[in-house]
Amino acid sequence: MAGLELLSDQGYRLDGRKATELRKVQARMGVFAQADGSAYLEQGNTKALAVVYGPHEMRGSRSRTLHDRAIINCQYSMATFSTAERKRRPHGDRKSTEMSLHLKQTFEAAVMTQLYPRSQIDIYVKILQSDGGNYSVCVNAATLAVIDAGIPMRDYVCACTVGFVDETPLADLCYAEESGGVSSLALALLPRGGQIALLQMDARLHQDHLETLIEAAMTACKGVSKVLDEVVRQHLQEVSVLTGE
Amino acid sequence: MIKTEKILHLKSCRGGKVRVVREHYLRERVPCYSCVCQADCVNDGKVLPGDLTHYVVPDAGVVVDYLEILEFRELQGIVITQTACQAVHHSKGRRQYNRLRNLLKDPRHDCVLFANEFQEYSYCPREKGESQEKWQTRCVYSAAVWYYNHLAGMMDVVMITEDQEAVAEYSSLNSGVYVISVQDYLQNFWPELQAAHELYSSISQALQEKESEGKEREYGEHLPAEVLEAGIKSGRYYQGTLNVSKHRAQTEAFIMMESFSNKSTDMSRILVHGEKNRNRAVHSDTVVVELLPKSEWRGKITALTEGQGEEKSREDNESKLLPTGRVVGIQQRNWRDYVVTFPPRDGSQSQSRNSQRILAVPWDHRIPKIRISTQQADALQDHRVVVRIDSWESTSLYPNGHSVRVLGRAGELETEVHTILIENCIHVPPFSDAQLREMPVNSPDKPWKVDPAQVTERRDLRQTHLVFSIDPKGCEDVDDTVSMRSLAGGELLELGVHIADVTHFVTEGSLTDLEARTRATTYYLADRRYDMLPAVLSADLCSLLGGVDRYAMSVLWELDAHTLAVNKVWYGRTLIRSSYQLHYELAQALVNGEKAEVPELAQLGPEEKDEKLAQLTQALEMLTHVARHLRAQRDRGGALELEGVEVRAQLDEERNITALVPRQPLEVHETVAECMIYANHWVARKIQETFPHQALLRRHPPARQEIFSQLVESARAKGFTIDTSSNKALAESLDRAVDPQDPLVNRLLRMMTTHAMSQALYFSTGAQSVDQYYHYGLALDRYTHFTSPIRRYADIVVHRLLTAAIATERGTDVGKALAGNKELEEMAQHINSRNRAAKQAQSLSTELFQCLYFKERDPQTDERCVANAVIYSIRDNGVLAFVPEYGVKAPVYMKNREGQVVASAQDGSCEWQSGSVQRHADHITTTSSCGTSTFRLFDHITVRISVQSFHCHADRLNLEVISNKPYHSAEHQEPRSQGRCKLVQEVVRLAEEAYQQSQEKAARLTKFSKEEREFCQSKTPNLYSLLEEVRELALMDLEMVPQVCATTA
Repeated sequence: MAGLELLSDQGYRLDGRKATELRKVQARMGVFAQADGSAYLEQGNTKALAVVYGPHEMRGSRSRTLHDRAIINCQYSMATFSTAERKRRPHGDRKSTEMSLHLKQTFEAAVMTQLYPRSQIDIYVKILQSDGGNYSVCVNAATLAVIDAGIPMRDYVCACTVGFVDETPLADLCYAEESGGVSSLALALLPRGGQIALLQMDARLHQDHLETLIEAAMTACKGVSKVLDEVVRQHLQEVSVLTGE
Repeated sequence: MIKTEKILHLKSCRGGKVRVVREHYLRERVPCYSCVCQADCVNDGKVLPGDLTHYVVPDAGVVVDYLEILEFRELQGIVITQTACQAVHHSKGRRQYNRLRNLLKDPRHDCVLFANEFQEYSYCPREKGESQEKWQTRCVYSAAVWYYNHLAGMMDVVMITEDQEAVAEYSSLNSGVYVISVQDYLQNFWPELQAAHELYSSISQALQEKESEGKEREYGEHLPAEVLEAGIKSGRYYQGTLNVSKHRAQTEAFIMMESFSNKSTDMSRILVHGEKNRNRAVHSDTVVVELLPKSEWRGKITALTEGQGEEKSREDNESKLLPTGRVVGIQQRNWRDYVVTFPPRDGSQSQSRNSQRILAVPWDHRIPKIRISTQQADALQDHRVVVRIDSWESTSLYPNGHSVRVLGRAGELETEVHTILIENCIHVPPFSDAQLREMPVNSPDKPWKVDPAQVTERRDLRQTHLVFSIDPKGCEDVDDTVSMRSLAGGELLELGVHIADVTHFVTEGSLTDLEARTRATTYYLADRRYDMLPAVLSADLCSLLGGVDRYAMSVLWELDAHTLAVNKVWYGRTLIRSSYQLHYELAQALVNGEKAEVPELAQLGPEEKDEKLAQLTQALEMLTHVARHLRAQRDRGGALELEGVEVRAQLDEERNITALVPRQPLEVHETVAECMIYANHWVARKIQETFPHQALLRRHPPARQEIFSQLVESARAKGFTIDTSSNKALAESLDRAVDPQDPLVNRLLRMMTTHAMSQALYFSTGAQSVDQYYHYGLALDRYTHFTSPIRRYADIVVHRLLTAAIATERGTDVGKALAGNKELEEMAQHINSRNRAAKQAQSLSTELFQCLYFKERDPQTDERCVANAVIYSIRDNGVLAFVPEYGVKAPVYMKNREGQVVASAQDGSCEWQSGSVQRHADHITTTSSCGTSTFRLFDHITVRISVQSFHCHADRLNLEVISNKPYHSAEHQEPRSQGRCKLVQEVVRLAEEAYQQSQEKAARLTKFSKEEREFCQSKTPNLYSLLEEVRELALMDLEMVPQVCATTA
């Protein structure tokens, strides 16, 4: 079989979406009672679980303590059954360390850490099933978990990947598209102010196209933020019914 | 955001036994692309018409196997499902898939793509244990049902399938949806479309044959694609295009490498020897080769070969060893339509008549025989047939194919001409009604008028400028005119070149535009012409005739009257009225100050006449003056002048060719050409500056030095030195290399230079670096084609670019977005390849006419078959000779198959005797019992011309030495032109005789004569095309040439 056609002449992608359409996003907040905050998020077939502990006082080495704000500790991992082939994933391999670092940077930009000096916030994210866009799904899930924990943030952090095929930007790539040799870009956005929390790209792309690609990524992120906002409101409603107000 | 529902789509790729889960989104609104749609689908682009009786939905299997039938334009209302599209992609590969995609994009075809798998109601998930074919059929069927329901039952839907079970299962399920087989469909709905029926039976036969194939292995298997990729990367294998040698098609083939050409010249070609090593690759396929060990390397054979039987004996005189390899895999098949001849049936061909398998012989020597199974074998004997190759399994000695279309009996003129067209992939159907409807009308009762809106938009030059055209006599498509006037009291001169504004009539993306783009150029054959644009444009509205208002695209230069430096250039759309339609001789006479009668002034009184004449003469003189200056400027830069067109057809009142006169090299030719080159150059500058990455220019790369070596050596034989270090040095040394005794020497040298040159090419500026823009032949840094939009598509593109450039300058809206670099480069490639095909077809048709001419004569008795020839190249067993009288180039053998050699007696007459041949650098010696005789380069000899007939291929002219003295050497110049006239008159006469015959007997050549009558301007066999071959290769894109074409045109 010759290479896959990522965007057909009529503008359909492999899975039937148009170029700007996102995958279906479904989420739940407060899935675990033990943790301070937790969330489960599905974006298409990529599923992630995020758990937040904190803010609490520093554990482990006290030397890392910051006196003006809280530090954020992120840990990213993938379940052994998350990909098509079962694979043992040792803790702290290069890929997940890098991903943890990215998550940390993203949330340092979004969480109002200065409110909690000399304390620590732990964010743990696990990918249960992987189908492209792992980073952005993690960010989105973690956002919900942070909100669930009641930690103040400047804004939702929404992330999305975009790829570039045949002069058109494709929003929210799935695994087949990601592996099909597309130059892709991941963007985490604070949608209300339009500030970029993180932008990551390790493929080659002509400079002329970067602008349109970022533009497309921002629209996609805003789309995600709408969904997340709905989820949060839904959750609040449920919770308020339970507490009987 | 559109709400989408997620459905899991299970797919297990058995390769690695992984289960992959993919999402699949469905939606309710998927456009149906039908005119009768009630549901307001967003149908942009191609739409199926509503006035059909039914829509056809072919099953996946039908699209995969019978795509060619669906390509018939007569079949309308075809809905191709996405399922079928993907099936083609999976099973037939990218090439076939692209073909389908192009079909879907082509607005002339009535077919659309329906994304059935993304439609909520037409999608059916694959059930467990269901076979792929069954599932595809079910998908297509449910798409057909959806169509019927979607269009609210207003249109019946026919699903065609080859699966008989499906016919039985589905046919009675829904009332408006019919399920029938392909054969039934064709019989019931298209009973008159004979070609489709034949194609169907030939394809299905081929498919059946394929199933019952033997198991014996004839060739090695090709390696899988991954291995090839890895091998190429590691340098173990080489990738290139297979180029089979024309003369030794059975044994010799070369791999031309794209990437290696500049790195090391040594590795640019790899020899592939023999059929086994070639391993089922066909000429022009992209293949991967592996080098053989050095001990098995071979050299190229340089001897002239007559037939195929004598190759084995020639191994001893091989030249230096070349890298030799064998094909291990094929990256891309490049199969096209081939013309084959069914051999006459004799006992040896096929023992069992039931098998119906015929080995047909392709017209092109380089293509292997093709096995075809047909039931019409008897009927098709001696006919030329178009076939396509289907497959070539490793178990089969020959490729399998199926026939597509019958051209006619071999040897007939019509058949042969069509053969030439098809072999060069030239497809020129008559313009369709839809295309002609786009054209403006200009008939006596509804004359075309200038649009007042255009008058305000354009610069009106009708009153201010004296515009005139200079063309050959009787020219009808005038696409360029010039004007000249002095400004500011003689301090400034204004030179203007006005080109027909074709783009005004041909809007981008219109049907006419698409057709013109496909054709890319007007095709001139020896006896006919296939226009790029419909006649209403090319001969009327876009032709800048005298005395009528026409739209034009103009370039006006303001020159300093003394230094002739350019002060200002103006580009823009104009409205002109050409005052005089001059021809070359008349213009030259006016420049020379001779008395000449200008037809436009014949009606006027003597005073007025003198005044106007003086005005015109003055303009012409100024023009000549400027052109001289421009020419001198380019000459200093090193422009080359090579062998160009020499004869032109003279037409009488009824537009019959009365004679072919050698064109007097008038200065005025050069004047006009110079103006056109100048216009092209300035337009190139303009568009390149405005669009640095997406302008269409024409470049001419300098030739490689080693290619000139033969030229240099040949010249040395005559005592001339040719300096090829630069274009300037080459031009100067060619000018010096004149033998006062023999003017032909210089001509031949120039001809050889032309052959050594690489060809000028169109390109997009974004695809080359700036230093590659140079035009070697014209010695200009930037060049493009702007001045003949009627007959070249490149010019139309350039016109559009120029219009856009003017719009950008003014800051107005450019309108439609311009083609990007990638798109433009693709178009440039297309135009280049079409130009090559046009050239090839032209020279082939010239050869065909030469053969037809000599076929009628008996070489032994007819004195016209004896002619003077000049030797221009030496080979191992003969020489290559040029016959100036007929413009024929052919080999002359010094040694025949029996091993006899040519021996010349005292008086110069030659005869065959046993002896030996010895080749030297600049001469060839034959030794026999009568002594030795020597033939040197540039010697004049007398040859007898005869025709060598082939059954399956084109006929060839054969030259035979009869004397080593020149023939009629005294009156050498005189008979030359006469001979040509004779050739032409003769073939014209023949054609006319044939016409009469055809009225008496069955129409043998009717169409030919009719064609002639219709296109009387392109009167049969002019020798223009004969020399056109040489011209086409020439560097000088002489703008004279359009004028010459115009005569023939």
